Amino acid sequence: MTAAIATLAGRRFTLTARTPRELLVPLLTPALFALVIAPALKTALHTPASYESYVALGTVGLLVPLNTLFLGLGVIVDREQGAQRELLAAPVPRALLVFGNLIVAVAITGLQIATLLGLAVARGIHFHATAGGVLWFLGATAGLTVAMYGVAEILASRIPRQEEYIARLPAIAIAPWFLAGSLFPITAMPIGMTWVARFLPLTHALALMRYGLLGDGAGLHNVWKTNNLHLAASLSLAVVIAFGALLTVGAVRVFTRAAMR
Amino acid sequence: MIEVDALSKVYPGGVEAVRGISFAVEPGEVFGLLGPNGAGKSTTIGMLTTTIAPTGGFARVGGHDVLRDPMAARRVSSVVFQDPVVDRSLTGRRNLELHARLWGSGRDRIDGVASALGVGELIDRPVETYSGGQRRRLEIARALVSEPRVLFLDEPTVGLDPRIRAELLGTISDLRGRRELTILVTTHYLDEAERLCDRIAIMHEGRIVALDTPTALRDELGAEIVELRIDGDGSSALARLREHGVAGSTAFAVGSTLTVPLMQRTAAATLAEIELLRLPVTSASTRRPSLDDVYLRLTGGRLAEAA
Repeated sequence: MTAAIATLAGRRFTLTARTPRELLVPLLTPALFALVIAPALKTALHTPASYESYVALGTVGLLVPLNTLFLGLGVIVDREQGAQRELLAAPVPRALLVFGNLIVAVAITGLQIATLLGLAVARGIHFHATAGGVLWFLGATAGLTVAMYGVAEILASRIPRQEEYIARLPAIAIAPWFLAGSLFPITAMPIGMTWVARFLPLTHALALMRYGLLGDGAGLHNVWKTNNLHLAASLSLAVVIAFGALLTVGAVRVFTRAAMR
Repeated sequence: MIEVDALSKVYPGGVEAVRGISFAVEPGEVFGLLGPNGAGKSTTIGMLTTTIAPTGGFARVGGHDVLRDPMAARRVSSVVFQDPVVDRSLTGRRNLELHARLWGSGRDRIDGVASALGVGELIDRPVETYSGGQRRRLEIARALVSEPRVLFLDEPTVGLDPRIRAELLGTISDLRGRRELTILVTTHYLDEAERLCDRIAIMHEGRIVALDTPTALRDELGAEIVELRIDGDGSSALARLREHGVAGSTAFAVGSTLTVPLMQRTAAATLAEIELLRLPVTSASTRRPSLDDVYLRLTGGRLAEAA
């Protein structure tokens, strides 16, 4: 089982590494926001330096969905032009095909987040990370990545062509980002939108990331209305993990059903 | 080695692709499923390789029930698909390694199998640089790396030019010599079926309409046939020939063409009797029966046209 999943993940990693488009394109927009737009807003609107840090972490909430959904394209390519049917005829549980892809998605997204934050630090943006804070951040990003890759696998299994898949990316990857407190607190929106934002897993993930790397608990307070930030962080992490688990189970079910005609 | 009993598949929407077929393939046998596109051949292979769920009946591959123990059935078999199914950006070696790792055996055989299949020189090149024939050979090599007991070949030569097709047929023919390798091949090419297969099942609209050795299937039509072109409807002419004992139950008409197996009669005597009946014959010829005639008699359509 371990050897099979290592083989499948190795294959997916090799294929992904041979298509730099999949690695670079998702990084461009978040990097633009973090490194150009946020500093420009600071200059133009005289926002405090902390706003740059706020936006830099907010862009992680854009990078994760973009990257995982781009990686989902690989599933369609595999089905249309690759070796997916050979893998389906292999004596391994078909769920491992999804898990092999997921491992690579988590690894590549992790590298991209590290790159984005590294660039942000190089640009002079400051974070206040503690060991515990980093753990909250890692939990939030890992959970969000798993969840969004689940979305990608489900879409890729249900959508027959690449063009149709790509057409749906903005609605899934970008629209929630604007509502989830990425560029401004969710309480800055009309009350109805604030309530919608509270139910978005991305809102919970971003609030956790800022709590972890900036020590900023305002996002968690806005969601849970409690001053016990540790409790709020735990609840938000549970939401993100539950979301990830649910979508992974869904992805495996949809993939295995689609594989059996 | 392969047992199929009343196997059927109805796709959502009610399309009956396979309608209760049964057959058994012995160890070491090369068994052909012959029929046009849409006959149910690929669906049958899909069910045997556990990528299509049967809606009725059962099948065993290497003694393993494909529904109850699909992993075991997949472990003893390999498949070469009708369309290219390969990671094109990876090297041939990487594709073979992937198969060997997933099947849990054969990494030490990669170079030997690749050389035997004529792709040893190409093995370290990306597959996207291979020609169609080379890619097909690589896919067969990949299927053999894990030393399967059952090899499924789904239309292995479709889409290849005649020269490459001839070469590949030679390669597949060589596999017959391998001990303990049972092959199930689907094709709509008669020459391919005759050359490769010990036995053939002719499929038509999801059913097996004949199953025997190529020779036995041809022998049903005797050693020689008379083919008549009729000016008008062939079936009424056939009825008159039967009425006068010139044609037996194996004779058949398709459109304006009548095919009359001679069986124990001579061509000269048969043609003379036909002349006496004053049928509106526009041309007459004699020849040896082919599998196409067998198919035509069983299904009412020529295989080459149907494919």
